[in-house]
Amino acid sequence: MLSRTDARAEGSKIPAHRLRLTDFDLTLPALGLLVLFFVVPVVILLARSVTEPAPGLGNYAELLGSSTYLRIFANTFIVSGLVTVVSLLIGFPVAWALAIMPSRLASVVFAILLLSMWTNLLARTYAWMVLLQRTGVINKLLIGMGLIDKPLPLVNNLTGVTIGMTYIMLPFIILPLYGVIRKIDPAILQAAALCGANRWQALVRVLLPLAMPGMAAGALMVFVMSLGYFVTPALLGGTANMMLAELIAQFVQSLVNWGMGGAAALVLLVVTLALYAVQLRFFGTDRMGGR
Amino acid sequence: MSKPFLQIRGIRKEYGPVTAVHDVNLDVAQGEFLTFLGPSGSGKSTTLYIIAGFENPTRGDILLNGETLLSTPSHKRNIGMVFQRYTLFPHLTVGENIAFPLKVRRLPKAEVDAKVRDMLKLVRLEGFEDRKPAQMSGGQQQRVALARALAYDPPVLLMDEPLSALDKKLREEIQHEIRRIHQQTEVTILYVTHDQEEALRLSDRIAVFSKGVIDQIGTGPELYANPATRFVAEFIGDSDFLPCDLVAAADGRAEIALAGTTVIPNVPVHGKPVAGGKAALMLRPERLRLMRSAPGGSIALPVKVSDITFLGNNIHVATETARGDALAVRLPFGHEAISSLNRGDSVWLGFDPATAHVFC
Repeated sequence: MLSRTDARAEGSKIPAHRLRLTDFDLTLPALGLLVLFFVVPVVILLARSVTEPAPGLGNYAELLGSSTYLRIFANTFIVSGLVTVVSLLIGFPVAWALAIMPSRLASVVFAILLLSMWTNLLARTYAWMVLLQRTGVINKLLIGMGLIDKPLPLVNNLTGVTIGMTYIMLPFIILPLYGVIRKIDPAILQAAALCGANRWQALVRVLLPLAMPGMAAGALMVFVMSLGYFVTPALLGGTANMMLAELIAQFVQSLVNWGMGGAAALVLLVVTLALYAVQLRFFGTDRMGGR
Repeated sequence: MSKPFLQIRGIRKEYGPVTAVHDVNLDVAQGEFLTFLGPSGSGKSTTLYIIAGFENPTRGDILLNGETLLSTPSHKRNIGMVFQRYTLFPHLTVGENIAFPLKVRRLPKAEVDAKVRDMLKLVRLEGFEDRKPAQMSGGQQQRVALARALAYDPPVLLMDEPLSALDKKLREEIQHEIRRIHQQTEVTILYVTHDQEEALRLSDRIAVFSKGVIDQIGTGPELYANPATRFVAEFIGDSDFLPCDLVAAADGRAEIALAGTTVIPNVPVHGKPVAGGKAALMLRPERLRLMRSAPGGSIALPVKVSDITFLGNNIHVATETARGDALAVRLPFGHEAISSLNRGDSVWLGFDPATAHVFC
């Protein structure tokens, strides 16, 4: 009798409905918004690619069959690949330096990196336009030093796009790489040295493999972002060598061809998801940013 | 001892205004197991890191077989090292870790494979070559690190507190392994630790570091029986200290007065004795004799028992002199003097002055 009363008293302290982390109820409004404003429009756009102007895969056939459009795909992949590679080549030493430099100096460099990220994208891209143009500082400097006779064509072409985008993408390589490199115990490199590894061997056999997850994460992010980048290619690239995002914009804005625009967008999406799948397969989410 | 194999000559290391190592001199014989023993910040690890080439000395030289090591970078010194932290390459398997030093030396594959097998056998980890370091216990990882450091037959193996991250039982187990491997390979080992028991168990000789200086070098029994400084006496074994007055001193022997009255002649004295000055008398708790009544003839101090603690194979008796100085006595379990001994009892502690030491 007594124990039953106790049990009831105990039970009354427990709320009728306890909040558990597995309850989805509270996320429903946010999920609804996401579906309504994010998933539905994308699905509609993609649907239009197989319905306009006529039902079928005509848009895709045109997109993948024409040499003009294939050039644009090629441009996009070449520039994105170059930007990724150059960002890795510049970003790795910077991330390494950040990881080993005194923390006060490192925070200054971080501030510079973040400040550049927070500066308006258009402002930064126009700044590159000024720097890279025929009479810009870079060409003047090179001519002044006697290295070249006439100005190099650095802007209104893919060179300009690559330079400008590499600059914008660098922090996205440096930050994840820094996170990974910082976690590497310096004693591991000392051990490598005593084992007889010279600097090059320590870099190639120890440091690079250990930094691989960070490099892969950063490289994927940069490559995917570059594939769909619009502002920099539009401003620094020439009209002769377009990239995919510009093409989509042109389909939608100038030609009001939603079908082709949707098809191009879907191709971009498929490539991105495929790359993400590769990344997951080889590095796994749990290994991203850790060893 | 044969001719000096590794010579440390006047090594000094300054970090700005701080001197971490003060002119350390040391000769190590080939095949010797020498331990640097000292508290943290005593300069023992810095000295080891200078030998490894991770630090450059401000002054001094290090000679291996009569040739300086300082002009050789770490990766060409051919020295083995096991670190305090786990430093196996996490992306490589155990076998690949042991093969690493051989592969960077571009040895032929057959030779590498044979050596990896030998090393795994040496550290008794056959069958583990395909494991990743993260799948192994701390003790196993340090054994692999030992195998990796010995794979290229280094003339000298440095060990920087390799067992400090392990629990006591595992530590003792691997200490046995290290002893066996030292006997089997006859490699010269320089071992850094702050654990006196570990140092005594492993070493041929021990160099006691204090504040960047080697206070004393000797075998364990030498350091225990004849400590050169108060620091060594405190660090090796247990010790009691009593303040005393120096009456006279000559030829390393002193006559001292305890509590103003008891005069004790013929005690070994260390430091710079000045007649009439203050000094400290060091006694070993396990060499004191506990007696219930004043002995006739031999030297003994009257004390009061303040606590009795049972510690398994021996019994710890805390006592106090009339002046309030604490004196610990250790007696074997079952010692006749213990029976019916109670807190507050007045007893006498006898000792042989020849086994005591006076530090000035």
